[in-house]
Formats: sequence, structure tokens, C-alpha cells
Amino acid sequence: MKIKLLTSLAVLLVFSLGLIVFADDHGKSDEMNKLVFPKSYSAKAVSGGGKISGVVKFEGDLPEKKKLEINKDEAVCGAEDKYDESVVVGEGKELKNTIVYLMDISTGKDFDKKAKLEMDQKGCKFTPHVQIVPVGARLTMLNSDKVNHNVHIFSSINKEVNKPQPKVRKKMPLAAVKKAEGPVEVKCDIHGWMKAWIAYVPHPYFAVTNEKGEFTLEDVPAGTYKLGYWHEACGSNIKEPVTVTVAAGGEVKQDFTLKLKK
Amino acid sequence: MFRKVFVLWSILIGFTIFISIQSYTQDAPEVSAKGKEVYEHSCAHCHGIEGRGDGSAAENLLPKPRDFTRGLYKIRSTESGELPTDQDLFDIITDGMPGSSMPGWESQLKADERWEVVSYIKTFYDGFKERETPPREISLEGKIAYSAESAQIGKTLYTDLGCIECHGNVGRGDGTSAPTLTDAWNDRTWPANLAENWNFRGGTDTEDIFKRFIGGIAGSPMPAFEGDSFLHFGLSSEESKRLSEMENKDEMTPEEEEESGKLYEKMDEAVLVALDRAEGTELTPEAQKIYDDAMKVVAEKSWHLANYVKSLSPEKRPETAIGNNSLRSQYTVEELPIIEDEAWNTLEDSYYPLVGQVVIEPRQFNPTIDSVRVKSFYNDTEVAFLFTWHDRTHNIEVEENEDTGTSYEDGIAIQFPVKPPKGPTDEKPYFLWGGKKPVYVWQWKASEQDKITELTVKGVNNVTVQENQGDLNVKGEYKDGEYRLWVKRALTTDDKKDLQLEPGVFVPIAFSAWDGANGDKDIKRVMSSWYSFVLEPVPSSRRFIYPPIVALLSVGFLIGLRGFVQRRNSASDEAETEQ
Ligand code: HEC
Ligand code: HEC
Repeated sequence: MKIKLLTSLAVLLVFSLGLIVFADDHGKSDEMNKLVFPKSYSAKAVSGGGKISGVVKFEGDLPEKKKLEINKDEAVCGAEDKYDESVVVGEGKELKNTIVYLMDISTGKDFDKKAKLEMDQKGCKFTPHVQIVPVGARLTMLNSDKVNHNVHIFSSINKEVNKPQPKVRKKMPLAAVKKAEGPVEVKCDIHGWMKAWIAYVPHPYFAVTNEKGEFTLEDVPAGTYKLGYWHEACGSNIKEPVTVTVAAGGEVKQDFTLKLKK
Repeated sequence: MFRKVFVLWSILIGFTIFISIQSYTQDAPEVSAKGKEVYEHSCAHCHGIEGRGDGSAAENLLPKPRDFTRGLYKIRSTESGELPTDQDLFDIITDGMPGSSMPGWESQLKADERWEVVSYIKTFYDGFKERETPPREISLEGKIAYSAESAQIGKTLYTDLGCIECHGNVGRGDGTSAPTLTDAWNDRTWPANLAENWNFRGGTDTEDIFKRFIGGIAGSPMPAFEGDSFLHFGLSSEESKRLSEMENKDEMTPEEEEESGKLYEKMDEAVLVALDRAEGTELTPEAQKIYDDAMKVVAEKSWHLANYVKSLSPEKRPETAIGNNSLRSQYTVEELPIIEDEAWNTLEDSYYPLVGQVVIEPRQFNPTIDSVRVKSFYNDTEVAFLFTWHDRTHNIEVEENEDTGTSYEDGIAIQFPVKPPKGPTDEKPYFLWGGKKPVYVWQWKASEQDKITELTVKGVNNVTVQENQGDLNVKGEYKDGEYRLWVKRALTTDDKKDLQLEPGVFVPIAFSAWDGANGDKDIKRVMSSWYSFVLEPVPSSRRFIYPPIVALLSVGFLIGLRGFVQRRNSASDEAETEQ
């Protein structure tokens, strides 16, 4: 009797868990590889804020450096060898192109409205490889090449964008998006190897690591926050964010070591 | 102890069920039972019960049945980034999507059932529920009727806007970007062949074409060529011409610097207005005027481009070469024309549609070669054929590619019986590479374009290369997405294994073709069943035998093949339902 009850309960439990998985998965795909945004954010002047900085390093065997096959417009695109940019590291395995950000900040500084927001297509490569774009701001796509490109942004919460950028169009501002999302992939279909990422963000506490793997978040109002990261090949830590406490005017150091996601 | 566990579990279960129900009701608003029923009965085996494009029949199909959960719809009358209108969905369900496995449902489902299923598939994507304003539709104002001049202007736009990158020089889908395209689901995809518009997903009218490139084809690599994509957006035609003139000068005078500077400002302003509009900002009357003026110029250009694209295909899909349309080789007293000869232009093509080989493994469910077209001349001693077919890629060897898989060599085979049937009741060999009755095959491969290998074949595993080769004169070429193959032979040869030709005698003919980039190799191929051709007798000749009967027989074969394929499909459907 006990056993019977236990089994039927177990069956029920498994079943209902199954339902949860189903319900979770029903929305957007690949939740694990996204950023986490606060429910709301309000901007106000921050004085005496603190600073969070650190270095992101790669751990484990580096994937083989993959040379890209340039099968088109060789004169412009193949002038120098190109490599897959999903893992770019320095000599000490410092990891470039990692987004480090605050997950749960609800008030803080405003975006720097004067900052240039551009992504270039040069030598048939997108630069930067990871671009942060504030919600409501216009990203300008540049075409520094003498060939035709198309800008294909695979948004799913915002509208999918796929616009041609012929060689004569040196600058192409894109409409601002309304919702935080990302990172979403950017592609040029004409040159299939050209790939980059855009994150549409609701607040300015996002940084992308440089060649030395460094990031800095400045003017953080004193408080305790969840610190997140995202990397194209290493995934994210939305399940286990790091908690940091910033004192007014203080500086917190927080390094990360990332492995390839499975 | 047991009690504790029990209570804990009950709470857990109650909670989890609560969550699941909650999130479920959020995702799926109330839907009519009817729509759900129609969907699950007619659509789910391709599109999946949950609309994710993962039904049981989806595996082998390319393009894949649409995943409805991302709200990406190809065929829309709405602007870039917008969802389709209900009418768009209704129309595509009614008409189907040629060139893919999406069937039309006009005869299978009543109109109200189609409307119910439209509502139902919309429940798979929240965007339909969340949208606050109706989608913006593409304006069809200012249509310019077709004329050669209009198409000519369209042709320059085709190059300037970069259509050529994917669709190729003359639109056969052979652009240099074609081999590497993938869609939003990372599946391989090909640019449409604009010269075979009967395979367009969304219709062949100039209006359809217009909407496709302005609104884009969501989820595919095909971009949306909307307003500001056009050169000098915001300038009138005169201003645009003037600016190009000035830009082409080695050096501008100070006056020209100033004049062009003003024009640049004007363009920037128009782009900003277009962005405001795209972001949903209400435009001031002045801004609206700037936008409308700019769009008038764009509409004009777009109609020219649509006219050009329309002109790339024949008026209608050619009639299949059967019955009265059967290939009739034309008699000439002269030397037979070589491949380059203009004389070929005096003949009409005979059109042979090809289908994927789905009878035996490995099958080809997603053919990329539409058809082969044939012309022929003969004289007292020889016959010459010109075969043409479209293939987006020129593959002459096996190539491995991490992203697109392995590609093989392209080729074609022309198949005849070894002996023409003696009469209409005389059975032909099995259409797929013969059987007990052998077939005589001309096999041509793209790597050796001036050579044909003569084969005797008695079934797919019984292929013999004939001992006597070299009876044929052959020339092949590939250009702009098209193969042309020229073959000349004596009417009669000394080789008993060859087919011997005689004017007035109807001879069965069938084709196989391989697009190596689409994974075609050996038995995986596109092919036809038996058709027939005849050396059209010179009027004085009285050897005209039994064309109508042969024609009828070929129709019979075709219907048989279709029936076979359909039976196979429905058999596998049934197998699925049983599971
Ligand atoms: C044999 C498989 C099959 C069946 C059955 C089928 N579809 Fe499809 N459907 C497809 C494929 C494949 C596509 C994608 C074609 C493409 O992307 O070019 C598609 C695409 C669609 C689209 C997208 C149109 C667009 O503009 O992008 C809609 C809507 C659709 N199907 C509705 C239905 C409905 C409703 C039913 C049932 C009444 C149905 N389909 C049954 C295979 C199928
Ligand atoms: C980056 C590659 C690319 C470019 C550039 C491009 N196309 Fe396409 N086009 C495609 C692909 C891929 C398809 C097939 C879409 C599908 O059905 O999945 C397509 C399909 C089409 C179709 C068929 C629509 C239908 O109903 O099936 C038309 C017409 C067309 N393109 C016209 C154009 C025109 C005109 C231009 C230039 C203004 C252009 N394309 C530029 C890739 C491209």
C-alpha cells in the first residue's frame, strides 16, 4: 500500500516536473545564454559611487584557432587572414568580449548620451565583436568596405532586422529598440562568416572586457548587487551570480575564470 | 515519517502543478476547439503539436515546416519586422508555398476552417497578442505598368542594391553568396531562382515581388529593401542626378561643395524621419511630407525593380513536354548546329520537370533542380541535342565544408531504352535505371564537360560502362547558374548496345540530374519518369507511327509515379498516427 502510494506520487511528481520544463521551454529558447535585466530602472545622478573592476580569464584547453574561409570578395575581405572570434584570449588567457554587468540594479546613473554608438564593417569583419546598445538609442552601422553588406540582427523580443548596406552607404543608423534583449546575434548573410553580438540594455552598468580581459563598472551607487557575466562560448552565470558589495567611493575587485560551456 | 514526506510531496506537487497551469494559461489564450482540431489533424504532423516545426514528418524536409513560436513569417503584405495580417496567413494557408512541402488547403479545408486555424497558429507566438497597433502594410501606390524601359531601369537597381550577391547576374539564384546561406534556424537555404518564379513561395505577380523585397522574407537571409536602402533617399530624381554628377567630378567647386552639402543634409534629415516613423513616433506634418516625398521616389524605383524581376521568368511555367508538347527533333538539310550556333534560338524548349527520387534510399526530398529543357535537330545522318538546366552552384569535385556539409559533383544522365518499344503495348524498362529490360544511358559529369560515358544499366546496382565509347560528340558549359550540354551522334551506330534512331519513331526518354551541393550523388538525385521524343518526319515521309498512344502511356506513367509517391506519403502518415 505504502509502496503503491509512493510510486503513484513519484509518477505524479515526475509528470508535474515535466510540465514545468515544458512550460519554461515554451517561451524563448536558450534562456541560459541570455542576460538578466531588472524589472525596472530609473536614472538619477550618482555622487560618490563606487567602482567594480576585475579581469576575466579563460580556463581549460583553448579551442583550436579556426581560420575563416573567405570565399567571396577576396580582394577586400581576404587581405589578411581572419579567425573565428568566439574565443579571443591574450597571452595569459585573458578573455576578451565578455560582458560583465549588474543584474539587479534599479536606480543609478543615466547612459552617457554623447557616447558614439557604432559598429563597423571593415575588412568584412564586425568591430566591435560585442556591442552594448542602450534601449531607446540608435546604433549606427558603418560600411568601411568597398563591397555590399547586409546587417541581419536576429532579435526575437524586438523586431528582427535585416537591412542591406550597399558599398555606397557608409553610415546606416538603425531604429532604436524598445525592449531589453540579448545578446542577439548579428550576421552578414552576404559574407556568411561575419558574426557579432548586440545586447540591448536598460541601464548603463554593462562592460565588455578588452584584450587584457579587463572590465570596469563605474559610479555604482553604494549597495549590494548581483554581478553577472556572459560570454559567447563560455555561457553565463545567471544561475549563480556573484554578490558584490560596493561602498560609497570604494572599489571592489572581482575576477572571473570561465570555461567553455558544455 | 511517512506522513511528513507525504505532506511535503503534496505541497511540492500542488505547487508545481500550479506553476505549470499558470504559465500555460499565459501562453495560450482561449482558442476555438475547432481551430485546434483542424490544426492537430492537418498541420501538426509537420508543424508540431506545439507549433515548433518539429512534427513527425519534419525531419527530412527542407525548408523545414515553420516553427511558429518565433513569429517569423516569410510571406507578408506588411513592412519589415512586422507580423503578417490575418489575411496574409489565410492566403498562404489557402495557396500553399510552391517550392516547399507546404501544401495549399483550398480544397481540403473549408474557408471557415482555414480562418479558425489562422487564429489557432497565432496562439503559438505572444507577439500577436501583445501588439497594440495593427501591422503597417506596404503601400502599393504608384504602380508602374510593365515596359521594357521600366525593366531596364530595374536592372541597374538589381545590381546597385546588391540583389546580385545572392540571386546572381541574371537571377538564377547562383550569386556568389548562395552556397553559404543559412536561415534563422541555422538550416541551409538557397536564394530563389528568379527565372523560375513558379517556385516562389509568395506568388508571381509584380505586386507579390514588390512586397517581398520591400518587406523582406523574415527568417531568411533575404533583406528588406525598404525606403532608406535606396541610394539618395530623400532626394528627388533631379537632385539625385545632380549629386551623382558632382560626386563623379575629380574636384568640386566651392559652389558645388555647398550645393552637395545641402543635399547630404537633406538626405540625413529624411533618414532620421524614417527612423522616427519606424520607432513609432508620431510625425509632424512637415516630417510626414519629407517622408512621403522620399517614398514617392522609392516607390517608383521599386516598381521598376519589380518589373525587372518579373521579366526574368517566362509568362507562365512552361507546359510539360508531353502529348502535343513532346520533343520533336527538327529536320534540317544542313550541317547540325554547334553549341554556340544561333540556330538553336529558332527552336522552342521542350520542358521536362524533375522530381526528387523518393522510391529507394537514399532519397532526395528537397530537390534543387527544377527541370531540364531540350531542343534537337537532325539531318540525314546525325542528330544533335541541346540540354539546359539550372543549378545554383558549379560543383566539379567532392568538397568538405564544416558548415554546409559535403558537396559532390554535378551531372546529368539521359536515359533511353536499348530498343524502342515495338508498339504501344510493348512495355518500357523500369523508369528508375531500368531492370530486367536494360536502359541505355548517356552519363555526363561536370568535371569532364566534353565527354559522355555510355552505360548499359539493368537496375541501380547493375551498371555497365559500354565497351565501345566515343560515338558521341559532346560539349558542356556552365555559366550564370545554367548548364548547357550539347550532344551529337549518328542516327545509327554499329554498336548493338546503342539505341538506333529512325525518323517518325517515338522513342522513350527520361532524365536524372545531380546537384552536388544539395547532396545529390548516385541514387540520390532528381529525375523524371519516361517521356518520349521523335525525329519529326520530313513531310514526305509516311513513317509517322503512334504518337498519341505513346503520349497517353507517358501520362499514365506519370500519374502512376505520383500515385506511388502519394501512397508512400500517406502510408508513412498512417504509420505515424498509429504510434
Ligand atoms: C507536409 C508538411 C506540411 C503540412 C502538412 C503543413 N505545412 Fe505549413 N509549412 C510547411 C513548410 C515546409 C513550410 C515552410 C516553407 C518555407 O519556409 O518556405 C510551411 C509554412 C507554413 C506557414 C508560414 C507561411 C509564411 O508566410 O511564412 C504557415 C502559416 C503554415 N505553414 C500553415 C500551415 C497550416 C495552417 C497547415 C495545416 C492546415 C499546414 N501549414 C500544414 C509544411 C507543411
Ligand atoms: C543576402 C542574400 C539575398 C539578397 C541580397 C537578396 N535576396 Fe532575394 N532571396 C534570398 C533568399 C535566400 C530567398 C529565398 C527565401 C525563402 O523562401 O526562404 C530569396 C527570395 C527572393 C524572392 C522570391 C520570393 C518568394 O515569394 O519566394 C524574390 C522575388 C527575391 N528574393 C528578390 C530579391 C531582390 C529584388 C533583391 C534585391 C533588391 C534580393 N532578392 C536580394 C536571398 C537574397
